[in-house]
Amino acid sequence: MLRFLSAISIVFLFCFSAFSHAVTVEDSKGTFTLDYTPQRIVVLEFSFADALASVGISPVGIADDKDATRVLKEVRDVIGDWQSVGTRSQPSLEVIASLKPDLIIADIGRHESVYEDLQKIAPTLILPSRRETYEDSLKAAAIIGKVVGKEAQIQQRLQEHRVSMQNSAKQLPENAEVQFTVARKDSLYIHTANSYAGGVIHALGLQNPPLSRDDKQASRQIGLEQLLAINPEYLIVGEYTSPNVVDNWQSEPLWSVLKVARNKHVHRVNGNVWARCRGIMAAERMAQDLVTVLAK
Amino acid sequence: MRTLFVSFSLFSLLAFLVVLSLSFGAVSLSISEILSGFTPDSEFYFTIHEYRFPRAVLAVLVGAMMALSGALVQGVIRNPLASPDVLGVSQGAGLAAVVLMTLFPSVSIFWLPWAALAGGISAALLLWALCGAHSSAIKLAITGVAMAALYSSAVDFLMLTRPLEINNALLWLTGSLWGRGWDQVFMILPWLVLLPLAFWLAKRMNLISLGDEVATSLGVSIPVTRLSALAIAVGLTASCVAICGPIGFLGLIAPHLARRLVGGRHQILLPCSMVVGMVILLLADLLARTINPPIELPAGIMTAIIGAPYFLWLLLKTR
Repeated sequence: MLRFLSAISIVFLFCFSAFSHAVTVEDSKGTFTLDYTPQRIVVLEFSFADALASVGISPVGIADDKDATRVLKEVRDVIGDWQSVGTRSQPSLEVIASLKPDLIIADIGRHESVYEDLQKIAPTLILPSRRETYEDSLKAAAIIGKVVGKEAQIQQRLQEHRVSMQNSAKQLPENAEVQFTVARKDSLYIHTANSYAGGVIHALGLQNPPLSRDDKQASRQIGLEQLLAINPEYLIVGEYTSPNVVDNWQSEPLWSVLKVARNKHVHRVNGNVWARCRGIMAAERMAQDLVTVLAK
Repeated sequence: MRTLFVSFSLFSLLAFLVVLSLSFGAVSLSISEILSGFTPDSEFYFTIHEYRFPRAVLAVLVGAMMALSGALVQGVIRNPLASPDVLGVSQGAGLAAVVLMTLFPSVSIFWLPWAALAGGISAALLLWALCGAHSSAIKLAITGVAMAALYSSAVDFLMLTRPLEINNALLWLTGSLWGRGWDQVFMILPWLVLLPLAFWLAKRMNLISLGDEVATSLGVSIPVTRLSALAIAVGLTASCVAICGPIGFLGLIAPHLARRLVGGRHQILLPCSMVVGMVILLLADLLARTINPPIELPAGIMTAIIGAPYFLWLLLKTR
């Protein structure tokens, strides 16, 4: 009888433990359920790698555009080696399949057209990344943490993140107007309050300068005259190439009229970190960059 | 005899390329692994049956259809430099797709091919409404090119004002077979009914190439033949562009190469163009996938790299 009972209880415990691993979350395609803890994860955007690194998990494959340095250094230090699965825009599905993943994390903006194919390879969690705001990216990180069985860790990490951002905010000038831009060879793009960088700037107690045009676009190309119309207190230039358009503009008379030019408040940062990477560690790195250049 | 030899070589080349497409990619597979990939419990089932094979099938279908469409347009416009692009169909489809991607980013990607198809066909109908059924071939071509330029400039405007969305839009506008599978193959299959109609026109197209007067005196109704040939070309182009994006130069160079191989008789020229189109697109996609794995380039870049110099050479030679 005792034997029978213990057998029953073992079976019961076994069922219970298997059941306890099942997680259900809402992703961009509806309800996503996973009844095991994934071990081999492939991520198709940098922000997802950031979320995994934040809870100490290493993905087996990343769509890193075949350039490992595009992954944030802080993330690389945590996750070690991975296999590239190609570009973020057109990842190689056969390489993903050859890695035999048990979870794929994809971006609704880029990978919706291959969602069915990804599902055939492994359960696919599809979340916004490309057009997401800062707050959205933290929500996505919380969902990822829950799916990989580290809900407590990710919540704690998010808590630490808020504290870290507040600490950075204390070292920054309050309510200063900071405009983030991306500089290419001959064009400049502003990232508005609706962009990811705009969200980080806001979270640090700084302000995105008001724009004359009332639109909800996250990014827009502007000319020098339009930059003068915005005339921010601080200009953060994320460089995709160097020399770039900002170097060309510096020789123009109009440039010297800018507040940022007169006060020498033009600061250059890594364009890859600021415009391509998103996530917990990326936001902390951006906050560090701002503290370095703007500290009171 | 020459025709027989050419078709034999083309078909061998095609078969060879299909095998290469199945065996090469980011992961190289042997013949036995390829064969095992067709059984559902194989380790390579996804790679072969769900990925490489449908993609090769789609390359063959789209290559054939775009090339046939080009041969028809070149036949009725009577200009070897013409291509389906002079009808503005690809650009109209491109505009519809870019409007959907930039102005309605939250709309499901599921609607993209349908929007592009509607855009392509509307562009053709608009051209027809502007020119009427009895206009000359040259008027049709010039109006078509002008409309195409108008659509392209609208696309440029949208992409310049919405920089966040341009990556997806640019990728689509280059034309690619990435991520296309059995669903897309089944979407394109119904359009194959246009093939027998095109072959049925072959004889009349031979007569048209003698000039409008001669063809009319030999009993061919120019407006009817021209309209049917162009309508078929529009259907073929619009359906292909809807699924793969406007793969550049394919409709231009495939019929042209075929004409050099087998001459201008449309009974031979049309099927030969199709096979040449299949070979070009399969080769372009194979190169795009294997040049620097795991990076997958869009096949449209490859056809442009092959096609643009060929087009220039053609232009210089015909002067």
